[in-house]
Amino acid sequence: MERETLVSVQDLSVTYQTRIGPVSAVDHVSFEIQKGEILGLVGESGCGKSTLGKALMRLIEPPAEISSGHIIFEGEDIMAYDEEKMRDFRGRRTSMIFQDPMTSLNPMQRVDDHLIEAIQVHEPKTSREKALERSSVLIERLGIGLNRLGSYPHQLSGGMRQRVMTGLGLVLNAQLIIADEATTSLDVIVEAKLADQLREIRDEFGVTLLMITHNIALVAEMADRVAVMYAGHVVEMGDIYTVFEKPMHPYTQGLLGSVPSVELNDRDELFKMPGEPPNLTHPPTGCRFHPRCQYAMPICSQLEPDLTKQPSGTLVHCWLYQDHPDKQKNTLKA
Amino acid sequence: METKREVVSDSVPEWQLELDKVGWLRRLLLARKWYGGDWWFVLISAILLLFIITVGVFPQWFAPFDPREEVGPSLLAPGEEAPGLNVLVLQDSEAQAFADIATKTSTIGYLMGSPATQTIRDTVSTLNEQAEEQGLGNIYQPRSTRFETLEEGLAALNAGEIDGFVGSEEELGDTQIGAGGYKELEILSGSKATSFVLGTNQIGQDILSRIIWGTRIALIVGLVSAVISFVIGVPLGLISGFIGGTFDRILTLFMDSLYTFPGLILAIAIASVLGAGIGNIIVAISVLYIPTYFRIVRGQTLSVKNELYVEAARSLGTKPSEILFRYIFPNVLPSVVIIFSVNVADAILTEAGLSFIGLGLPPDTPDWGIDLARGQDYLRRAWWLITFPGVMVTLVTLSFSMLGESLSEILNPRLAEL
Amino acid sequence: MSSSFRKFLITRILLTIPMVLILVSLIFFVMRVLPGDPIRSQLGPRVSEEQADVLRERLGLNDPILVQYGNYLKDIVTFDFGNALTQGERPIKDELGERLPATLELTIPAMLFTSIFGVSLGAFAAKNRKKPIDYIIRLFSIFIYSIPIFFLGLIFQIVFGVQLDWLPLSGRMDSMLLTTFQSTTNFYVLDAIISHNWPALWSAVLHLIMPTLTLGLALTGVFIRLTRANMIEMLRSDFIAAGKARGISEKRLVYHHALRNTFIPILTLIGLQTAILIAGAVLTETTFSWPGIGRYLVERIALRDYTAVQSTIAVFAFFVAIISLVMDLLNAVIDPRIRY
Repeated sequence: MERETLVSVQDLSVTYQTRIGPVSAVDHVSFEIQKGEILGLVGESGCGKSTLGKALMRLIEPPAEISSGHIIFEGEDIMAYDEEKMRDFRGRRTSMIFQDPMTSLNPMQRVDDHLIEAIQVHEPKTSREKALERSSVLIERLGIGLNRLGSYPHQLSGGMRQRVMTGLGLVLNAQLIIADEATTSLDVIVEAKLADQLREIRDEFGVTLLMITHNIALVAEMADRVAVMYAGHVVEMGDIYTVFEKPMHPYTQGLLGSVPSVELNDRDELFKMPGEPPNLTHPPTGCRFHPRCQYAMPICSQLEPDLTKQPSGTLVHCWLYQDHPDKQKNTLKA
Repeated sequence: METKREVVSDSVPEWQLELDKVGWLRRLLLARKWYGGDWWFVLISAILLLFIITVGVFPQWFAPFDPREEVGPSLLAPGEEAPGLNVLVLQDSEAQAFADIATKTSTIGYLMGSPATQTIRDTVSTLNEQAEEQGLGNIYQPRSTRFETLEEGLAALNAGEIDGFVGSEEELGDTQIGAGGYKELEILSGSKATSFVLGTNQIGQDILSRIIWGTRIALIVGLVSAVISFVIGVPLGLISGFIGGTFDRILTLFMDSLYTFPGLILAIAIASVLGAGIGNIIVAISVLYIPTYFRIVRGQTLSVKNELYVEAARSLGTKPSEILFRYIFPNVLPSVVIIFSVNVADAILTEAGLSFIGLGLPPDTPDWGIDLARGQDYLRRAWWLITFPGVMVTLVTLSFSMLGESLSEILNPRLAEL
Repeated sequence: MSSSFRKFLITRILLTIPMVLILVSLIFFVMRVLPGDPIRSQLGPRVSEEQADVLRERLGLNDPILVQYGNYLKDIVTFDFGNALTQGERPIKDELGERLPATLELTIPAMLFTSIFGVSLGAFAAKNRKKPIDYIIRLFSIFIYSIPIFFLGLIFQIVFGVQLDWLPLSGRMDSMLLTTFQSTTNFYVLDAIISHNWPALWSAVLHLIMPTLTLGLALTGVFIRLTRANMIEMLRSDFIAAGKARGISEKRLVYHHALRNTFIPILTLIGLQTAILIAGAVLTETTFSWPGIGRYLVERIALRDYTAVQSTIAVFAFFVAIISLVMDLLNAVIDPRIRY
């Protein structure tokens, strides 16, 4: 099904200024997020997925900066926003759920104060009582007892805290919610519960969800579409069923092959990807995956491929699926 | 064509690896870019300290005078010319120089409380020395008469009761020289120099020389007491943290109590019982800083002790003493260096404080704290008495604490970025 | 009040006892066991050994050391330190009681000044870490820390007392006013307000400005450093990033969220830094002839009045323990993690 575009990211780059020169953690990335979908963003740690998530809210702080690109949110380029407009954007139109619910809440502030503050910061005219009333409804919907409103974060369990974080993300009716490893620190059962809840919320509130995670099983469970990142590039993106059934990029193939399965009759050896993630201070030339790729061709180390649309609808960033006058087809390895 | 890149382990920051490839000079220069302001703080304080330590080790190279000697008039402002003293004789006198009226048969007059007393005495003894060299013996020994007022003095001169009258420009006021029937002989200078860069104190000692020699005292007290605290505090902290148990608990309680107690007050107690003397001051101050080393070293020992690599070494049967010195001590060292630097600064401040309230060093020592305490009595008349010793304490303390502070900013991994 | 909080309170108060005990025992050890004869040094060499022995007997210095120790502890528990050896031999308790208000009148405003000034500068520097303003503030804090407090006081005296002649050089009030001034609490400012004696109030406030400013400024260096270091750590915590993602302004994040959390480590450190406050008070009182406990201590040292010195230092030890206790309790009140 075709949906309206909510966010269109065009040519986005994030560069860290380090002691030995610039490092591009996100390198000329373009993609779209559609209204009401759940988009999974997966990749190894350090591939730039969290940085990309932060960049969508312009939360990149020195020594890093957004060095190029546009983020078009509902037709407006938020890169052109000034700090005041940006502040209004954050929380009200896009909100973020962080990885560690333990440390993401102010330990000195009660749950209700967190919620009321979030509302009053954006709607200074709303009274405390009104704000409390509004958040109570939401809090109950998220399955937190109203008696918990007066609690301090340290008095809540991890799952409970993460639900408070979710509540904070929803209380201003943001259209896009970025969940950055939101479920990672929770145990499996609580994680499943929260994941279910996030999907319900999407259905109920019609929000769009960007799930940043390295948990591929969770993405398979929840997402409508998936984007795979490697070394600052989006290497494959498409419908969840298409990508998981027929992964095209060698990296996606390896990634899916390395997911353990719980089925006992399927105890094949897991796929081990050779090599290590590249050092981004001196990224490999051409396709950044080529040193680890079992299908690498001469061109792979010379030129960077484009993100091209395949007949299945999937976007792939790989010379295997793209033509070039210099490409030597006969060098394909077995 | 390179296809595979050397993969660098994530645990060591890349810039440190690059650092290992260059010489120490390049390393220092490269460090400037990464640490910015703190690098400059370290550099500036290191240069200052180098200078201060040179001055402290060789004060005789820098000090123009003996710090204990009275070399000029008292309370001479910085750069001010030491006032000369005019010698008046009658116009028709045969005397051509001061020597002519300084013989055993002559009498010299001056005003009560005039600096002339000292100057006449100094000049006469210089004259005698010269005469001695020529084998003439002590031939100069004038009698002297003191007058209440200038008029009385001049009247006595006119009457021939005295052979000459000695007084400063100020004391003589508007006395007519030629027209009044007097003539002036040479100007007597009572001072070893025409002026003093930083002035003189209430007893005519050169302030510059005093603060230069004071550097030596401050450095001795600061460094020696810091070394003593270090030598006692670090091993105690290592052992206490390493052994643990009741010994550790009791020692920690004791050290914590000592740490919270005002250092100056404790030093006051110790110094007041032990009495004055540089050794006693050093003992009093070194006791104060033992807990500082103890606390930091013990804390770090506890955390390093439980690191996996130490556990691994232990499981391989490494001796405890070896674990302590090969594994734990090197980890503790950087923070100890920082404390040492701050400790020296604190010790110098404490020493100055003790001297200021009259405890500590013998009263004739050229010491900044003592000079400050004495200068307070002349607050209204002579700002330079306290300003220069005070600036020196501040400068030396500043260099040491700036070094410690910026080193900690650079070395502290919790504060370091990326 | 939850039961865990009550338990914390009781443990903390009980922990103060060994601390005070260690400190006062330490003073006893230093004053009696270290080489040096306090009586000899008080009486001087000309007094005969018999006369010295009479005094020793009177003060119980010939008793076995443990008996002396017991008596000493008893004195401290009952706050009865006996009489001073010199200058009228007044009861030390009375003397200290009169002088304590003077010390408090000096230290409380100084602490307030330094808390506000030092904490806000430290927070501002942390917020602008590695920018020029951060280096300037840090340099200022190291500089202020390096100036001996009495030198700072003397400079103020030269500039504001002598050259500009704006403020009185020393003391607590003009001697002219003091002859008619009725002091009931020994807090001069308070007394002046109670008795509606406006000229006295004006004079007391004028006399307070320089000493307070000296002590307050001297403590600021430490406060800036502590606040900055803790604040930097706090600003890196996740809840600040999360707050920013919720659109909370940077100003509110720094001064409301981070600063409030920073108060907890800072309060603990203030408890530990009481030492600096007291040392500073002794030196400030000496510089400005401020008739507080610190000045008393220095005067009695000059007179070699060892009973007075020992008792005054014991009172300081008590002071330290109390402040450290109060800071911990304040912390408990502020920090919900302890409170619940």
